Amino acid sequence: MNTRPIPVPPQGARLQWRLDQPFRLKHVVIVILIFALLILTGHRTEMDRMVTMTTQAVGNLVGLNDESQVVRGLSKVADSMWPPQLATSEDIGRMNDFNPDDLSWFARVETRETTTQRINEETLQLESATETTEVLYEPLGYLKTVMGKMIETLEIALWGTILAVSLSIPLAWFAASNYSPNRVTYTLARGFISLLRSVPELIVALFLVLAYGFGPIAGVLALGLHAAGFLGKFYAEDIENADKQPQEALEAIGAGKIKTVLYAVMPQVLPQYVAYTAYILDRNLRMATVVGLVGAGGIGQELKGRFDMYDYGHVMTILIAIFLFVFVLDQLSARIRARMI
Amino acid sequence: MNQTPQPMVKLSTIDKTWADGTRALNSVDLEVPEGQFCVILGPSGAGKSTLLRAVNGLVRPTGGAVHVDGVELTPANERDIRKRVAMIHQHFNLATRASVAANVLSGALPDVSLARALCGWFHPQQREKACHYLERVGLKPEHLHRRAGELSGGQQQRVGIARAFMLDPKVVLADEPVASLDPQISRDILTLLKDAARELNATVVCSLHQVDLAREFGDRIVGMRSGEIVFDGAPDEFDDQRLNRLYQNADWGDGEPDTSREDTPELEAAGGM
Repeated sequence: MNTRPIPVPPQGARLQWRLDQPFRLKHVVIVILIFALLILTGHRTEMDRMVTMTTQAVGNLVGLNDESQVVRGLSKVADSMWPPQLATSEDIGRMNDFNPDDLSWFARVETRETTTQRINEETLQLESATETTEVLYEPLGYLKTVMGKMIETLEIALWGTILAVSLSIPLAWFAASNYSPNRVTYTLARGFISLLRSVPELIVALFLVLAYGFGPIAGVLALGLHAAGFLGKFYAEDIENADKQPQEALEAIGAGKIKTVLYAVMPQVLPQYVAYTAYILDRNLRMATVVGLVGAGGIGQELKGRFDMYDYGHVMTILIAIFLFVFVLDQLSARIRARMI
Repeated sequence: MNQTPQPMVKLSTIDKTWADGTRALNSVDLEVPEGQFCVILGPSGAGKSTLLRAVNGLVRPTGGAVHVDGVELTPANERDIRKRVAMIHQHFNLATRASVAANVLSGALPDVSLARALCGWFHPQQREKACHYLERVGLKPEHLHRRAGELSGGQQQRVGIARAFMLDPKVVLADEPVASLDPQISRDILTLLKDAARELNATVVCSLHQVDLAREFGDRIVGMRSGEIVFDGAPDEFDDQRLNRLYQNADWGDGEPDTSREDTPELEAAGGM
């Protein structure tokens, strides 16, 4: 043991007391540099224009300003989005399996007269021609479509989560330094987990749509792969940080690694695992509405289609449905969480 | 003392030097015959835990050999030998969030297939045995489904003992089993351990630091200090003078073995088994 005596100042020596100001010139320079950088990047991201336009919009709303591009744009969209489109009408002539005796609820057949004006090529006069078509009008038909798409979205989120959990359990085993068979498997598993986590769902979905085509397969895979990166990391870290004592007890009787994890680690980490998985399910439910924008199924795909066809009434219905859906799910998950803890 | 021809546990000149150069065990020789309750006594840092862990391979000695029931312990047969060597821990080492039943049943895991372990579907005989031992250690049926962490320290160690006996061990290693319990409960626990071991004719190697308990329960007392055995004899040979020598100017840290052993040759001379 090389214990050195604690240095004690000699008796009677004056101690040097000094209490500096918290800032020096160095700090001022750093603050100025940060400000300069902020101004530069703010200009590049058009933050100055954003402030001007927003001020104009506010001025327009309170009546100080006549013209505002923002208000004009927004009101145009709002006009075309209201009222939300709930009904569908379909040309009976184009329906193959139309059966007038077997209509769904509230559905009725309507006769539509469309008058078109066209130039008579002989007389070169405008003549109006009236066409009569029979359409099947369903007052809540579009709502039904949206509900169907919503359920599909829910299913995508659910299967994305199931896929993530079943992928991340073996990944976590190899990514936990105290159970991974060797250094190579550990590094590989950690690397794979980082890779999965680093690519956003939307980009994964973009590529998977190319591979699997439009529809929910790409959505489920995209959500599952990304979430497996999250869960693998968290599961592995919990295994690493678990209390070593019960593990030693089972190791001491030769129970083997897998059984040791099952009986000495799992009871400790299970509540955390449930919490992580619930978070991932919650996140996937919200992300499932978005991945459809690149064609990966669910309500997002419907939204993108309608948006591209300028059917803003339909878009409004979808947006309200998404809002209600997320709101109800938030309430539900808050209630379930409160009951579990 | 009658010594059987083949000792149940045999340590031959085992050394253990930690990575930082600390010598935890210094050519220790120890033979424990079948059925003996052997108490290892000594101050903290004497190497008691290291010695116990060398028996089941949790600590790999840097030198010497370990034989359990005549078979040399090697990394290859480690798992087979561990099945017959139970261990009881100072901090109970239970899965505190799991039920008492799951903890006791986990003592039978080496004998259970992975599929059964995954579902928790233990054999009916194993379930019966778990109940039998829980009753034997003085717990009640209502404890079965309680979380192990909710029990008191003494009750947790009872669960630990029940778990240790699930595989009918030949050897029970008890590492300071009563260090964190009060004296009366300590006595109860050691009585239980000794009786249960006697029923199975199991050999017990138990480290303790309470001298009165060592004298009361040990068939034999092995005194350790600074990684060496400095006393080995029957409890009545271990008088107060020897006790004082064992603990006198003890090296409480994990430092090098000091030279005080050479000043007390009579301690070694007492090793008359």
